Amino acid sequence: MTVTLLEPAPASGIDTKAVEQFLFHEARLQDEHRYDQWEALWTGEDALYWVPMREGADPTREVSYIYDNRPRLASRIRQLNTGVRHSQAPQSRLRRLISNIEVSETDEGVAVESNFSLIESRRGLMTIWAGRTTHLLERVEDGFRIKRKIVNLVNCEEAIGNLAFLV
Amino acid sequence: MATAPLSPAPIDYRHLVQDGRLHGSLYTDPAIFAQEMDTIFHRGWSFVAHDSEIPNQGDFVVRRVGSQSLVALRGKDGEVRVFYNRCPHRGATLCQTASGNRPRITCPYHAWTFALDGRLIGLPDEGAYPADFSKADAGLTPVARMDSYGGFIFVNLIPNKLTLREHLGHATELIDALLGLSPTGRIQLSAGWMKHKMRSNWKMIVENQVDGYHAPMVHGSLIAANRTFATVRDRKPTSPTRVRDFGMGHSDIDHASDYRAANDKLFRWTGGIDPARLPQYVGAMNDAYGPEDARRRLIEGPPHSMLFPNLSLAEMNIMVIEPISADTAVQYTCPVFLEGAEDLNARTLRRCEGAMGPAGMLIADDAEIGELTQMGVTNLEPEWIILSRGMGKEEVLPNGVKLAGLMDETSQRGFWSHYRDVMAGSQENVR
Ligand code: FES
Ligand SMILES: [Fe+2]
Repeated sequence: MTVTLLEPAPASGIDTKAVEQFLFHEARLQDEHRYDQWEALWTGEDALYWVPMREGADPTREVSYIYDNRPRLASRIRQLNTGVRHSQAPQSRLRRLISNIEVSETDEGVAVESNFSLIESRRGLMTIWAGRTTHLLERVEDGFRIKRKIVNLVNCEEAIGNLAFLV
Repeated sequence: MATAPLSPAPIDYRHLVQDGRLHGSLYTDPAIFAQEMDTIFHRGWSFVAHDSEIPNQGDFVVRRVGSQSLVALRGKDGEVRVFYNRCPHRGATLCQTASGNRPRITCPYHAWTFALDGRLIGLPDEGAYPADFSKADAGLTPVARMDSYGGFIFVNLIPNKLTLREHLGHATELIDALLGLSPTGRIQLSAGWMKHKMRSNWKMIVENQVDGYHAPMVHGSLIAANRTFATVRDRKPTSPTRVRDFGMGHSDIDHASDYRAANDKLFRWTGGIDPARLPQYVGAMNDAYGPEDARRRLIEGPPHSMLFPNLSLAEMNIMVIEPISADTAVQYTCPVFLEGAEDLNARTLRRCEGAMGPAGMLIADDAEIGELTQMGVTNLEPEWIILSRGMGKEEVLPNGVKLAGLMDETSQRGFWSHYRDVMAGSQENVR
């Protein structure tokens, strides 16, 4: 599976401002641990939330940090919602910046790639996370739903610490 | 003015490790950590790699054992060799990536080139070296001893007196049990390793791997969120599950004792899946072992064990513990694929991701508790850790294996009594 979904040239006719606003909104829900609202951004089925351990990995043969289908994603959210998921109790303080957004139209939906940098503060430690995210968005009446989200961390091949928050 | 070299005061491990309690400094003292690297990891046997990780000639993996960087490499003759990851010329690191494939090893500094069997086969301007320089003396340095069992390759860097089989002791039965779940008797560690940085001492990870006491508390959030994924086994104090101390520091939580007692269904160890959903695997197991023996194997499942010092057969995952410093370690996790069981392997892969690693719904919480414990033991008081749960109540089998209840700390005491023998023994030898 290739990582990029982008066409060679950006497609016209997409409301890129609306896409941007959607990404910013999603980022804020994650930063603020609004778990249910974040989950509601996803499509009802056929979803994939993937954090590979290697860019260009084959997820059918290689292990990933996260490879959630819709039910697994719901479990993850239910676990966080208990309030006693120790690795997020206390919760990380998070703020992320989304940038370098590229949008294109594909057969499957609106493909978006973006860079992020994320500052995490937890228990006296500041951690920098960064990477490139690929979203596949489905158009719905009130905006978009996430069908697929792939997060390629820049340090995905290194040993990484607690990733229990929503990246 | 010259001064005598400082010799550090000996550390009294027989005092620090007592039968039912441990001194907190065992997790925090950098001097103890340094001695562990030398005594346990360099002078003892440590797991380094599995044969299936490097199937083709030229395949290599770079691994750290104690403080040493090693390269495990498959040669043109099909043999695996383990070398120090250090150029014999002036010391540059030879392999910089965690894994890869190379027809030969060329040093990045001055391009000395080595065959896959370690021989120096070329260097620029060889004639400039003195007449007594010989390429035959300047090949890669292999580790002093290596041996394998069931494809698990172990190394011993500073030779000790034990064979690998003596070091493994009863733990070979655990490896056999895992391999016995494969229709061909072979496993494949081909999915790569999750690398999880833990801000805790490596021994806390060892202890937690075979801790039957913490699950309802530490994993309560997952049990509440997804009961079938979290557990299909009995975790009550009255559970028939035993923990076992095999000697030599090896221990396990024998979930098979619970599954056998229930004797009702296959695959409790992989979420209690209906066997009809794994036709390829079940068919291959029946063909390989006959229906009756296959049924026993599929009821009992894989071991949940910790092999001294760094290898955990963690059900359908292999975990390797890499100490970094007194308060940091990396935990490596790879799902176990069984040869000839594609349907089960696909499931194993997804279950590994759900449970393990830095985002895993189980292990992220174990890591958190390890970190809290590390922070806790840094406090000077109360000085001792209490590790006496179930002490004196163990059943001792004729072969010396000790059995105790699921929640007893017999497994940890097994680790620590061997730790004490090894660490105190080496101190006593140098005195
Ligand atoms: S250090 Fe390796 S060739 Fe010089
Ligand atoms: Fe645990």
